[in-house]
Amino acid sequence: MSRKEFLFPEELFYEKNSHMWIKKEDDDIIVTGIDAIGLDNLGDLAYITLRPAGTRVKKGESMGTLEAAKMTGDVFAPVSGTVVAVNEACVQNPGIVNDDTYGRGWLISIKADDWPGESVDFVSGEALKPWVEAEIKRLESQGFDA
Amino acid sequence: MSWRLICDDGVGAAFGLAADDYMAGAVGRGESDPLLRLYTYRDHCALAGRFQDVENEIHLDFCRGHGIAVNRRPTGGGTIFMGRNQLGVALCIPGKKEDTYGRAREVMGRFSEGIIRGLQSLGVRARFRRKNDIEVEGRKIAGLGIFRDSSGGLLFHSSILVDMDIALMLKVLNTPFEKISDKEIATVDQRITTVRRESGRALSTDQVRQAVATGYKEVFNTSLTEGYFSTRELERIALRQQEKYERPEWIYQTSRVKDAEGMCRIKTEKGLLEVRLTLAGRQIKALFIRGDFFASETAIADVEGHFRWHAAHKEKIEETLNQLYHKHNEALSSLPQQSLLQAIVQALSRARVVEKKLSLEPYGCFVSPGGNLHA
Repeated sequence: MSRKEFLFPEELFYEKNSHMWIKKEDDDIIVTGIDAIGLDNLGDLAYITLRPAGTRVKKGESMGTLEAAKMTGDVFAPVSGTVVAVNEACVQNPGIVNDDTYGRGWLISIKADDWPGESVDFVSGEALKPWVEAEIKRLESQGFDA
Repeated sequence: MSWRLICDDGVGAAFGLAADDYMAGAVGRGESDPLLRLYTYRDHCALAGRFQDVENEIHLDFCRGHGIAVNRRPTGGGTIFMGRNQLGVALCIPGKKEDTYGRAREVMGRFSEGIIRGLQSLGVRARFRRKNDIEVEGRKIAGLGIFRDSSGGLLFHSSILVDMDIALMLKVLNTPFEKISDKEIATVDQRITTVRRESGRALSTDQVRQAVATGYKEVFNTSLTEGYFSTRELERIALRQQEKYERPEWIYQTSRVKDAEGMCRIKTEKGLLEVRLTLAGRQIKALFIRGDFFASETAIADVEGHFRWHAAHKEKIEETLNQLYHKHNEALSSLPQQSLLQAIVQALSRARVVEKKLSLEPYGCFVSPGGNLHA
């Protein structure tokens, strides 16, 4: 059986538990979305709600909900801070996330309260490749058809 | 580890949902052992899926006139009709150590095994059907859904049809039927089934409950300690009920992704074929097939079941039809595969036109998640 290919752009950070990608911009503003493995496990997204701009969110807690082919659940904030913008296009057409999660499929941007402190657990740089490999192996061992 | 077992009957819609919602979080936070709750709702209630628009899915005037409660589940999927003859299953387990999405693929099938074992012990040949159904020979006998709480706790929901008043259900739920006659009732009766029908016995809901409890004990190799919610839990559930499940902002919220419907009627060499399809974003939410061709209702029900929450891509539709025609080769011989594919694709294309039109209209009544509504 051929293995699936998962795209993990090297310039991004990744939150290990929630499978969210994070792009750091200026002034501690981050943009985030669901990474390729998270998305593959969810399947096609049918609905998303996200907290509106101005809302306070806390790292690891809900910043919205989603319904995908397989389950309903929260979308978890990768950092604590204040929501700066929500991608309304994805809220109205969640399929964009499945099409282009690292581009047009971004979900939300947040002004981070403590980027240096909260980003230490994110995966990036040289640690990225081994982490992705380990994730795929772990999921394969659970019957995942990678 | 021992699980808690709570059996309660005749619960109100808001309490029933608030209890499941709160306990998923309590188990996720480690404040409670895993919980298996096997319960029934007070006759009757209609519970929409997390993102459904109740006004689209439920005949609200009929419900108001007949004292039928309406509410919204935290889990996804379609609207369910609940009462004394439908057994609710809520399994709350911790998920903190698991990754958020990594096991989504497997958990639905795994958690349904307790129900399947229980039903099989009653002589019902139940089995898991891809995504979110338990079926018997292609007919749905139980629906399934999963919600992951922000604490990491997982709530697995199911509704098992011990029996069903189909005529009443069709008055409550919005269906693709233009009218409800004996023919439509008979059609639905062929698509779903019940524990009483499949077992050939007038089993009580409690007998089914005992079988399901035993099924979970065996499958998960656990013990069940029967009890009830603690005083503190009841206080917290009451609060969740007031702040969420009794609030119109929760029940009547609408989705930004509008359902779009498309229909296609074509004449095939074997008779007339009609397909009605409901599209939600990129998912086929529901498919309904009828016509004057001869085909096994069981096989048609199986086809419809496989297209609930199915990707709306032609290639994937074709792939699923190939599998289904391989499985039901003889039963579907009077319904040409290419005609069915053509009808589904055309209905889908018409639904997309409707969807585009809807997306240009304002969404005046959207309720943005926030506050204490635990979006």
